[in-house]
Amino acid sequence: MPKRWEVYPGKSQVLCSGRCISAKNLSVFYLTLALIVISSCLFLAFDCRLLAVTLSPSVPVLAAVQFIFVLCCLLRTTFSDPGIIPRGTPDEAAWIESQLEGPQVDRDGNYRPPVRLKDVQINGRVFKLKYCFTCKLWRPPRASHCSTCDNCVDRFDHHCPWVGNCVGRRNYRYFYLFLISLSVYCLYVMVFGIVNLVLLSNMRKDFLMAMKESPTSVLTILVAFFSIWSVVGLGGFHTMLICRETSTNEDIKGSFNQRRHPDLINPFDQGNGLANCCYVLFGPVTPSLLNFREDEIGLGSSISLVTNNGRNGTVSAAAASTAVTATPAVRYSNLTRNNNDATSNSVGHVNNSVQVISESLPAQLPGDGNDVIVKNGNGAPADGVISGGTDAVGAQNSNTQSASSVHCIV
Amino acid sequence: MGSRPAAQVGHSRKVYIQRDYSQGLGLRYSTAMPPQLQDRMPEDLFEAAIVNINQILAGAENGSVGVYAESCFACLTGYLIYMCMDTHYERSLKEVRKLIEEYNRTVFMPRRLMMIDPSERGLRVIEVVLLS
Repeated sequence: MPKRWEVYPGKSQVLCSGRCISAKNLSVFYLTLALIVISSCLFLAFDCRLLAVTLSPSVPVLAAVQFIFVLCCLLRTTFSDPGIIPRGTPDEAAWIESQLEGPQVDRDGNYRPPVRLKDVQINGRVFKLKYCFTCKLWRPPRASHCSTCDNCVDRFDHHCPWVGNCVGRRNYRYFYLFLISLSVYCLYVMVFGIVNLVLLSNMRKDFLMAMKESPTSVLTILVAFFSIWSVVGLGGFHTMLICRETSTNEDIKGSFNQRRHPDLINPFDQGNGLANCCYVLFGPVTPSLLNFREDEIGLGSSISLVTNNGRNGTVSAAAASTAVTATPAVRYSNLTRNNNDATSNSVGHVNNSVQVISESLPAQLPGDGNDVIVKNGNGAPADGVISGGTDAVGAQNSNTQSASSVHCIV
Repeated sequence: MGSRPAAQVGHSRKVYIQRDYSQGLGLRYSTAMPPQLQDRMPEDLFEAAIVNINQILAGAENGSVGVYAESCFACLTGYLIYMCMDTHYERSLKEVRKLIEEYNRTVFMPRRLMMIDPSERGLRVIEVVLLS
C-alpha cells in the first residue's frame, strides 16, 4: 500500500520519505543559504582571529551560536509543512459540488459561472468563503491557495522564494524568528567586521593597507550591510503585522484596512499588540494535517479507516469493513436501549466497561438515558479509565475491529 | 435547504458535517443534523455528540498560560522536546479520537452509523458513514 506522500497531488517537493516538504524550486533558497554560510565562515575564519585575541574569545563563540540559530530557523521554515490543508476526498467533492449552483445562462443570455461563494458571519463580520475547485474544499477564512505549490495553506502569509516555501500558520513563527535573528546577526557581523578593520588599521597605521590585508572583512561587511536593509525592513514589517494580527496576504488585499473601510474590524484581533504577539508566536500549533507517513487507504473500500494510529500502524480497510459488517448485531445487542440488563458474565463485563467509559463523556447524552450512566459529571482523565474498560471489551472480542481500537487507546 | 443526496460509494453512503465559522476561526463543526440521519438517530443525541467534540477542539486552539509556557519552553530547547512529547494540540486531537471511538462503540454503531475522526479528513469535515 502506498504511503500518503507517494500519492501527494500538489506541486510541493516531498523529501526524506514524507518527513519534509518544501517548494519545488529551491534555487533562491540555495542562494540565501550560500550567502549566510559563506559570510559566516569567512567572518569566523578570518575576522575572528584578531577579534578573539584582541577583544575576547566570546566574540566568535557568540557569532557561532547565532549562526547555528539562524540556520535552524531557516531550515525549519523551509522544510516544515506551512499549514497545507489536505485535498478533499472525491466523495466530499461530490457532496459539496452537488449543493453548488451549476453554471447558468440568465435572461440576457449572459453566462454565469458556477457559484462557489457562501457568506459566513464571524464575530459580527461577513466573510465570503470560497470553494476551491482544485483542492475540493471550502477554504477557511484566512486560508489561500498558493499557485506555486498548488495547495491551500491555512493562514496563508506569502510564498517566500528566499526561504523556498510558503509561509503559513505552522511555520510563521520560525520565519519571523529567522528574520529577527538574521537581523541581529547581520548587525553583529557588520559591527565586528568594522571593528576588526579599525583594529587592523590602528596596528598598520593605514586603513587601505588594512583593507588589503583583510579583504574578506570588506566582503563580509558589504554583504551584511546590504542584507540589513531588506532583512530589518521585512522584520519590522512583520512585527507590525503580528501586532495587528494580519497576514501579508490580508494586508495586500486590504481586508482589514481601517483607513479605507473605517467600519471594518479584524475579528481575529485579540485586543492589544502584546496579546496578538503572544498568540502568533507562542500559541498552539496545529499538527501537520498531511499525515504523510501513513498509508493511503484506497477509496474503493466502503469504510474508511476509523481507528488509525500513525505510530502503531494502521488497520487495513478490508479487515475493518468485514469486521464491522459481519458482527455488529452480535457485538452490540447488549448495548441497545432495551437490553441493558443482560445476565451473562461476558455481557456484564461489557456493561461495566460502558459505565466506566461513560465517565469520560461530559454529560448524559439526552434521549439515550439507559445506556450511558454518568457516575461523576466531570470529565475524568480518559486514559486510566478507558483502558480498564476496553481491555474487557478487547478480551471478549479479540478478532474484531475493537482490538485495533484498544491498540490505539493504549 | 432542500435535500442533499448523500455521496454514494459502493453499498454505503456518507454524509459530511462542515466546519462552522460563525463563532470565529476556531475548530468547530456544525451541529445541524443532516436529514439523512434523521431516521437513524434522534437529533438531540447527535447534537450533544458534536457539541462534546467541539468543546475539546475549542480547548485545542485557545491560547492559555499553560500553552504559552509550553511553547516558550519548547523554543528554549530548540523544539527538540517535541521528539519526546506531543504538543497541546496533538493531545486534544487524540482526546477527540478517543471520544469518537467511544461514541462509535456505544452510540453510532448500534444505529448502523460510523463517525470518522476529522483528523483523517484534514480537519475539513466530520464524515458519517451510513452502513447498510
